[in-house]
Amino acid sequence: MTVERRPEERALDRMILELREHPAPQLDWDRMEARLMREPLPTADRAPRSFWSRLRLPAVGLIAVAAVATIVVAREPAPLPAKPTAKLHDAPLNGDSLAVGTRLTAGNQPLIVEHAGRARWTLEPHATAFVADAGEFLTVKLENGALSAAVVPNPKPETFAVEVEGTRVAVHGTAFRVERVAERVQVDVSEGTVAVEPSGTHSTPAFLLRRNSRGNFALDGKTGNVEGNASAVVADGAGRQSHRTLAKAAAVPRAPQSALAPTKPEVSPEPSAQVQPLPAQPSISDIEKGVSSAVDLMSRCFHDQTRTTDNRVSANTALTLTVAGDGTIQSVTFAPPLAPGVEECAVSGLRALTFTRSLEGVTFTRLLELSR
Amino acid sequence: MVATPLIGRLSFAGSQPVPDDRQTNALAGKLRAVTDLTDLVERCKAGDGSAFREVFRNHRADVARLVLRMTGRPGDLEDLVQDVFLQVYRSIKDFRGQSRFSTWLYRLTVNVVLMQRRAARSRPVLQGASDDAFGPDVHDLPDDQLARTRRVAAFYRLLDRMSDKKRAVFVLHELEGLSPSEVAKVVCAPVLTVRTRLFYARRELLEMLRDEPALEFVARELRNEQQSESGEPLTEGEST
Repeated sequence: MTVERRPEERALDRMILELREHPAPQLDWDRMEARLMREPLPTADRAPRSFWSRLRLPAVGLIAVAAVATIVVAREPAPLPAKPTAKLHDAPLNGDSLAVGTRLTAGNQPLIVEHAGRARWTLEPHATAFVADAGEFLTVKLENGALSAAVVPNPKPETFAVEVEGTRVAVHGTAFRVERVAERVQVDVSEGTVAVEPSGTHSTPAFLLRRNSRGNFALDGKTGNVEGNASAVVADGAGRQSHRTLAKAAAVPRAPQSALAPTKPEVSPEPSAQVQPLPAQPSISDIEKGVSSAVDLMSRCFHDQTRTTDNRVSANTALTLTVAGDGTIQSVTFAPPLAPGVEECAVSGLRALTFTRSLEGVTFTRLLELSR
Repeated sequence: MVATPLIGRLSFAGSQPVPDDRQTNALAGKLRAVTDLTDLVERCKAGDGSAFREVFRNHRADVARLVLRMTGRPGDLEDLVQDVFLQVYRSIKDFRGQSRFSTWLYRLTVNVVLMQRRAARSRPVLQGASDDAFGPDVHDLPDDQLARTRRVAAFYRLLDRMSDKKRAVFVLHELEGLSPSEVAKVVCAPVLTVRTRLFYARRELLEMLRDEPALEFVARELRNEQQSESGEPLTEGEST
């Protein structure tokens, strides 16, 4: 006996069949494979965990949460915003696939955009931004709300910038946050250095903000006030530059965010008549000069220490230099390591290299491609 | 390679009659595949990148198909497939071989998709993005293919309205062809629960079918076919 099925049921069965036969779209498997293979494969060398060791991690987590809660309750709210936070399961958008002009609006959760190997930026809830330049110099225009960014160090300057109206916030390797508050731009720097300047001008930054500093700027990027470890750099009529270094972050009483102020006095563009104290860190130009000498030295060492016949030999490494306050180099790190001969040659040469003196010194990383 | 002794052991296992050459070859092939996969997984656990690459190449199409069926959104496909393999990458050391690798992979894929869907509920709106889930190219297709693509998109919309649990069992059973007991292992639920979810998923879809013009058309077509076969007048609006 056969049971007659209703047309709806047969329609459903037909749809199921169609769906089964519907081909999956082709993906760029090679690109995905290349991306996946960049991750180091974790190995299963762990011994089986006992009951108590399984409890250890949650226990440590609980203690940490309790400690953080205690600190939060006990302390005044910190003036600098926290680094971008996002839930782990919020997979980042692939920024490289966003076309210029793509407008993004975050919902109730932050929206994370990642440009592989270059930058990762987080649009905070309800903020809107669009990609203004997706080429070598990534530029994101923030229309409203706040945006935090972490930028991978790059030997080329200003490979990532955030623009708010006429204000351009351009960076080297760094982590920072930009917020549009009414007709002002609030910039907070948690790592590295950012230059704040009017859009369209790349030569003379009006302000330099370093780690743990913040600034509040007009929408044209020409005027503003800064707090903490920051400098205002304004060109005078003759084209020379005057530098005025503000007090160190610790010495400046931090105002609560709401008091941060368009009403505060603007930084005077006049050079200070007082004796200038040491800067907190060497300036970007000092660092770049040092980097240039270090790169030349590394290239010479690589050339001298690498034996080759007719083949071209190349190596990539991230060079991290820690410069002490007296300008001498405290430590050198190569990741991944280079040949011992190359490293010895480079380290002995780098010992002789000095930077300008500063209060805190500086640590920076540059990606090098060496070849001969 | 440990494949040879294992093949011999399987061929003569139990009190079954000795299989003929064709059966032996089929069994040997099957076992070799299992052994190769076990070997691959072990190499992955030991940190062998080339083994992971092979796992990726062998399973990427299956994962992509399942992800698409679970989400119905080709736009999210690439990111999700990559997330699945990142999870495989990170978790393969925890794979103990207590279930089949494909079951483990299905479970992981379903979990990644469900996590993404949870996150997407409060997700940003990508303004200016095309609403057409199957891309702008669909309009260049011939009429019948275009109609089919639209029906498929409409059906995905219906699936999208179902709860995560019902959709997962429906996709795994009806579209991926897993048995209810296999689905139960993937979704970590009793077989009876899986059967119940399947029953309600199907019933819900039948209800929703009426609201979806692209699919209601299929039902009307079938109804008219049935009526014309039995000599009854056609349904209103379908006589042309």
